[in-house]
Amino acid sequence: MSLDFAIRITEILLGLAFLQQSVEHFRAPKNEQRLFIPRAVLSLLLVLGFQTAWVCLALVMLGLFILHRFQGPYNGGSDRMSLLILSCLCLANFIPILQWQEVIFGYLALQLVLSYFISGWVKIINPEWRNGLALKDVFSFSAYPVSEALRSLANSPGLLWSMSWAVILFELIFPLTLITQTTLVAGLVIAACFHFSNACMLGLNRFFWIWLAAYPSIIWLQYRIFGIG
Amino acid sequence: MGFIPVGTVLHTLKLLLPALIPSWRFFDVIAPSPRIEYTLLGTADETPVNWQEFRPRPLTVPISLMLKRMFWNPRWNEQLFLMSCAERLMAHPTEHSEREILNRIGAELDEARRDVQSTPYLQFRLVFLVRQGEEIHKRVTYSSKVHHYIEGFK
Repeated sequence: MSLDFAIRITEILLGLAFLQQSVEHFRAPKNEQRLFIPRAVLSLLLVLGFQTAWVCLALVMLGLFILHRFQGPYNGGSDRMSLLILSCLCLANFIPILQWQEVIFGYLALQLVLSYFISGWVKIINPEWRNGLALKDVFSFSAYPVSEALRSLANSPGLLWSMSWAVILFELIFPLTLITQTTLVAGLVIAACFHFSNACMLGLNRFFWIWLAAYPSIIWLQYRIFGIG
Repeated sequence: MGFIPVGTVLHTLKLLLPALIPSWRFFDVIAPSPRIEYTLLGTADETPVNWQEFRPRPLTVPISLMLKRMFWNPRWNEQLFLMSCAERLMAHPTEHSEREILNRIGAELDEARRDVQSTPYLQFRLVFLVRQGEEIHKRVTYSSKVHHYIEGFK
C-alpha cells in the first residue's frame, strides 16, 4: 500500500466517522449545531477529496473550538483518536517532504499499536483485571452497560475471567500481528470485533468508526518496514 | 486571533495535547461511577426528598436497536459526556460542568413537557457508586445550588 493511497483511505474513513459524529449533534442546542453542521459539511468534502489539505486544516481549527466548547473531549478516547488522526493528516498534507510525511503517518500507526498494547499492559499489572473483578465492576455498577439486563453478566465470574484474559492477551500481543500480512489482517478483524462488541454492550459506537480510520496507517507501516502487503 | 484571549488559546492547546500524545490507559482501574439525580422543588429553601435518576438505563436493549446505535447514538453519547462533567465536577469544580448538567436536565424536562408550575426549582446531585469488598455503596458527593427552572438557567 503506497503512502498516498493509505492517506486517501484514511481521509475517507475519517470523513465518514466525523460525519457520523457530527450528525448526532444536529438536534443539539444551537451553540452545538453551529459547530457540528459546518463540521459535517467539511467531513463530506474530505470524503469527496476536495481540497483535502485545507479541509483538514479547517477541521483542526473547528476541533479546537469544539474542545473549547466542551472544555475537553466530548467523548473521551474517541475524540482524542479523532484529533490525533486529523492532526497527522493535516501535517502530512502540508509538509511536502516524503520522509517527514512517512514519519508523521508512522507516528499514527505507532499510536494505534500503543492504544492496544498500553491498554493491555495497564490491565495485566492490575490484580483486579487478572482475577476478573475489574470486568465484574464494569458490568455491576459502572455507567457503561447500555441496559440493566447486561448487568447480569456480573454474576458469571468464569465468563468474566475468560473475557478479561482474552482482552488482556489480545491487546498485549497486538504488536506481534505486524509479523505477516495474514496475522495483521486477523489482528485488525479481531480488534474491529472487539470495538463492535464494546459499541453494542457499552454504547461506545464512536470508538468503532474512529479506530477503523487509523487502520490504513498500520497496513502502510507494515508494507514500509517489512515490504509486506 | 485579536478577539480570542491568549489565555483561552493556551488553555485550548493544553486540552489538545492529550490527543497528540495520548496515554491510552483505557479502563486501567474501575473508578467510582457517577449517577446524576435531580429533584424539583416548590420553593428555593424546601428540603429535597424525592430524587430521580436522570436518564436511568432501560431494562433491555434489543439487538436491532444496538445495531441502529452504531450509526445514531446521540442520547447515549450525551450521557457519556455528562458522566465526564460529573467526574470533572469532583476533580476540578467549574461552572461549565454544572451548567452543562443543568442545561441538559432542563432540556429533558422541556421535551417531556413536564409541568413545573408548582415545582419551579431544580437541584441536582451526584451519587457515586463504589465497591467496598463485596458490596456496592452509594455516596452523595456533590449537590448543586437550587436553580429557578422557570426563569431558566440556560
